[in-house]
Amino acid sequence: MVAPATLSLRPCAPPALPRTALARSRAWFAPATRASPTASVPARTFSGLRRAVAVDSDQQGSPEPPEQEKKPKTYYFLVANAKFMLDEEEHFQEQLAEKLRNYAERDKERDFWLVVEPKFLDKFPNITKRLKRPAAALVSTDGHWITFMKLRLDRVLQDHFDAESVEEALASNPVDLNFEKPEKWTAPYPKYEFGWWEPFLPPKSSNGAA
Amino acid sequence: MASSAMELSLLNPAAMRHHRGVSAKPSAGLPLARRSVVRFRVSASAATTTAPAKPSGGPKKQGKKEIQETLLTPRFYTTDFDEMERLFNAEINKQLNQAEFDALLQEFKTDYNQTHFVRNPEFKAAADKMEGPLRQIFVEFLERSCTAEFSGFLLYKELGRRLKKTNPVVAEIFSLMSRDEARHAGFLNKGLSDFNLALDLGFLTKARKYTFFKPKFIFYATYLSEKIGYWRYITIFRHLKANPEYQVYPIFKYFENWCQDENRHGDFFSALLKAQPQFLNDWKAKLWSRFFCLSVYVTMYLNDCQRTAFYEGIGLDTKEFDMHVIIETNRTTARIFPAVLDVENPEFKRKLDRMVEINQKIIAIGESDDIPLVKNLKRIPLVAGLVSEIIAAYLMPPIESGSVDFAEFEPQLVY
Repeated sequence: MVAPATLSLRPCAPPALPRTALARSRAWFAPATRASPTASVPARTFSGLRRAVAVDSDQQGSPEPPEQEKKPKTYYFLVANAKFMLDEEEHFQEQLAEKLRNYAERDKERDFWLVVEPKFLDKFPNITKRLKRPAAALVSTDGHWITFMKLRLDRVLQDHFDAESVEEALASNPVDLNFEKPEKWTAPYPKYEFGWWEPFLPPKSSNGAA
Repeated sequence: MASSAMELSLLNPAAMRHHRGVSAKPSAGLPLARRSVVRFRVSASAATTTAPAKPSGGPKKQGKKEIQETLLTPRFYTTDFDEMERLFNAEINKQLNQAEFDALLQEFKTDYNQTHFVRNPEFKAAADKMEGPLRQIFVEFLERSCTAEFSGFLLYKELGRRLKKTNPVVAEIFSLMSRDEARHAGFLNKGLSDFNLALDLGFLTKARKYTFFKPKFIFYATYLSEKIGYWRYITIFRHLKANPEYQVYPIFKYFENWCQDENRHGDFFSALLKAQPQFLNDWKAKLWSRFFCLSVYVTMYLNDCQRTAFYEGIGLDTKEFDMHVIIETNRTTARIFPAVLDVENPEFKRKLDRMVEINQKIIAIGESDDIPLVKNLKRIPLVAGLVSEIIAAYLMPPIESGSVDFAEFEPQLVY
């Protein structure tokens, strides 16, 4: 978990949290509470997701749908064209891998996904009219993290929505991705392989967040 | 006012090697600081005070011998803390985007690298295998890196302390960043113990002069040095991953996770800059942005071109490596600075290469047997040449840039 030794409890309450992004956010500063809203939905909630996922959408899996309370959750997202998100911005891979590693080390349930051509975009005409397609979105139930990622990526659009289930939130339309090789690749190392994002797509099987 | 001293150190990198008194004026420092430079004392490992160096480093091949003078000492920085307090007082500054700072704080608290910096026996074995010039160059690399990280630690630690009352969130982030820097510096210092050396960080803290830098310059310079640090580390990491035969010392294997810290630190300065739009939105901000980009890139290029043996030792072409790092850093920086340099224009690299040539001549004069007066006279035309190259690079048509959060054309952007 968070290193308690290095943290001092904050001397005063956090200042009022502006922005819609925080409206539903939890008491993130106390590690104990971190688990509450998110963790109440067990990890393997992904039944039906397989059809939903773009591109590489036929990885299989059979999640056990949890009989869970179905209260809507807020999903925060950043979106841009897939070329930017998955090709030009390839270094983003390191960050997602780091986060996944961190969740595994701390036994934390996964709450972030890359979604290619997400269906939820239909609800955002103001976004879609400014978006090159195919698009790729970074989705998370952690509004703070999405705010942080917006700071990092900058060239992305940000918004949020409520969904009854994670399947609904992460549903996507199949699409073929195809990135042209960069004309000049001057880096002294090879580019990350096409498809580096696959581990970050919504899991289609029960190994999802285990 | 900072500019004169800055230019000096920029223009005269060779001369800096022989001056250890750094002027009290603001100077190009921070960009240098993270990565570099200037002489410092190295003592046998047991002498370390603050670094958790292993006392085990028994054998003393190098003993107490001081490292030779060509090492440039890193400068340590201080700033106007009262101004910092005003800048981050939420009651005075309504621009503070608390959501961004809260998000950053959560990210830093996560402490991704809490258990990352664990050594193994490979280190000592690799160090023992290194001999001759390569060994020397590695020691220098470790010292410079350690001192640079440590310099970040000192500055962030103090800012964390000073801002506690006015802005506890910003203060805590600074403290957590100093945690990262201390960890990095400690890890590098343990690396030095493989070579039976250790930096005496306690001594450095007391003995070094602190260079003053206005907050605004701290933001630009530190942003750049964190981001350029990320690009340097990740480039080395990925290169060595693809070419493991050059993996001569295991520390590079830690770089991938390590440099994510640097990247996050840069993000924090990005948020600090956004909270101070006056540092981003006028013509002066654009001139400063270009100036800092140029001083950081040129300093790195000239420094690295004096140490090609290190980069070649790990299988990199120094100039290619540097240009890649410069181009990527510039692209990243364009997401926040209002203007950046057109570094992808081939003319930019040609200018850098000419600066390297001139700089090498200046260094050669310093190493010649001439009397000081003659040396200085010989330097004049060369320094003038270097100055004019730098000015020409500065005046190349810049690229307008900045965060889309501020861009007036944002509504027309297609993402």
